[in-house]
Amino acid sequence: MTTTAPGPAGPVQKEGPETSAASPRRPLRRKRGAEDLSQRGGPIWALLAWALTLLFFAPVAWMVLTSLHKEVDAATNPPSIFAPLTFSQYGLLFDRGVGPYLINSAMASALSTILVLALALPAAYALSIKPVEKWTDVMFFFLSTKFLPPIAALLPIYLIVKDLGMLDNVYTLVLLYTSMNLPIAVWMMQSFLAEVPKEMLEAAEVDGAGLLRTLWSIVRPVTMPGIAATALICVIFSWNEFMFALNLTATRASTAPVFLVGFISSQGLFLAKLCAAATLVSLPVLIAGWAAQDKLVRGLSLGAIK
Amino acid sequence: MAVTEAPARAPVAKSKKAYSNEDHGRLAAMLLTPTMAVLLIVIGYPILAAMYQSLFTTNQGVDESGFVQEGEKFTGLDNYTAIFSGAAGERFWNAFYNTTFFTVVCVVIEVIIGVMMALIMNKAFTGKGLIRASILVPWAIPTVVSALLWRWIFDANGVANNIINQQILWSTDGWQAKAAVIIADTWKTAPFIGLLVLAGLQVIPAEVYEAAKIDGASAISQFRHITLPLVKPALLVAVLFRILDNLRMFDLPYVLVGAQKPSVETVSILAFLENNNARFGSAAAFAVLLFLYIVVVAYAFVRLLGADVIGDARVKTPKAAKRRPNRSIARGDTP
Repeated sequence: MTTTAPGPAGPVQKEGPETSAASPRRPLRRKRGAEDLSQRGGPIWALLAWALTLLFFAPVAWMVLTSLHKEVDAATNPPSIFAPLTFSQYGLLFDRGVGPYLINSAMASALSTILVLALALPAAYALSIKPVEKWTDVMFFFLSTKFLPPIAALLPIYLIVKDLGMLDNVYTLVLLYTSMNLPIAVWMMQSFLAEVPKEMLEAAEVDGAGLLRTLWSIVRPVTMPGIAATALICVIFSWNEFMFALNLTATRASTAPVFLVGFISSQGLFLAKLCAAATLVSLPVLIAGWAAQDKLVRGLSLGAIK
Repeated sequence: MAVTEAPARAPVAKSKKAYSNEDHGRLAAMLLTPTMAVLLIVIGYPILAAMYQSLFTTNQGVDESGFVQEGEKFTGLDNYTAIFSGAAGERFWNAFYNTTFFTVVCVVIEVIIGVMMALIMNKAFTGKGLIRASILVPWAIPTVVSALLWRWIFDANGVANNIINQQILWSTDGWQAKAAVIIADTWKTAPFIGLLVLAGLQVIPAEVYEAAKIDGASAISQFRHITLPLVKPALLVAVLFRILDNLRMFDLPYVLVGAQKPSVETVSILAFLENNNARFGSAAAFAVLLFLYIVVVAYAFVRLLGADVIGDARVKTPKAAKRRPNRSIARGDTP
């Protein structure tokens, strides 16, 4: 019994003979059952994948490379790829006080993500494991909060925040990012929670476990990959948010993207410095994404499909 | 097994159910309330505030006695009628057309490329993890950074012109500005769709393909009859969220091409410009119109494909599964 089959054809695949030619080798590289369901690809697929990756990754690679160059080397056209590398641009950034911006961003993303998870998990429980009546309507309501153009929300929110004396305050951003990410988090978690086996919940009920106990000891471990994926997406979205951060903060609570835009207008001609700033601002989400990409895929596949 | 257990458990379960139904309703309400409250305050209020604001006009000029007029006055639907008349009307319809155009074109291209990426990433070969991680990078980096990157690439002396060996002024008005926006948006979000589809692909058991192969199904018909239907729910959710995002598109055309460029002006940009000119009522009117447009599109999407987006595909509990046929009929859905 072989565990793999030649690939489903993408719109790109025309080479039928190529895939069947690969079949004699198959038993040698046998996959481990349900854990890895991917189909074997020939060298053409690998080449295609790498070409596509390079195409998508090239702009970012160029940005990182330029950030490690001296200003003189960065200014040449075409860029001098093999120029000596240096970290001096990054040192300059910290001299210019990028630190507090990064801390603000980290606080806003981390706290809002924790809040989102704390709110979304019970809400998703009410929508999936023991669905309330008309739960699809409730889901649509959550979705409808994504209909409003952020531009429209900006002025009313600005006025409220000003009246409350909460301008230039990290916790204002925490609250805004929480509400920004809540709908998508509830949507994702709802589908993950629907995956929890009914028997486990019934067993917990028979054993007299309360709601919190059930959520913590049963739902949380089973849906952990899904929760991790949701958390990662929330962190990325709140780290990247720009418009509210720009308009609701000034000096104390400004976030990293706001720093970057300010930096563009003051240092716009210094390419290496600018690239260093852009890289630094992207670094946390890049690391998070790289570290968690397989968790993200596994987490999303939890609820993606029946 | 279930049969042997049934007699013993039936009475208990029955009495418990009668008790827990009411209890359950209260519990569910309790669980949903905090989330609902946060959303109503932080998102519901601005919608109402924008609608209210759109009925007022900022006073301009001086009154009869020569004093500068301040504040706002109630003008009913004047802001809306102004949007649809004369030159302002042309500008609005242009922005409306751009918004729709970007949404349709971007989503179609992104879905095609995203599905291709997912199919490629689903293959086994060396460096797969690295490829997956790299391909996600464009999606993860801040929009501010990607807009900056693409401004460099589309600079008159930039990489794009070097590669195609032409002198195209990408940031001037016209088709090339539209193309620049579409390329940058695709670069940023196709990986995300690819990721969602990949997540769906990985759940398809290999046996399904084996069976199809034994039955002599061609690669293309395998894709059409196995891969696509099984990935559809994940894909539809991704498409829905992309549509909502693209209809509100603002920062990419604004940063990449700039303001006052009719070929990339979206409704969100119009609202933003009105706001900047302190015409808050008119800005709110644009925003409300866009809001209503998005409501209609999303409602139509969920209505037409609802069974896959919210309903059937996401339900596994037996209770919900039993309810499924009724709901589909009530909604007039066809599977």
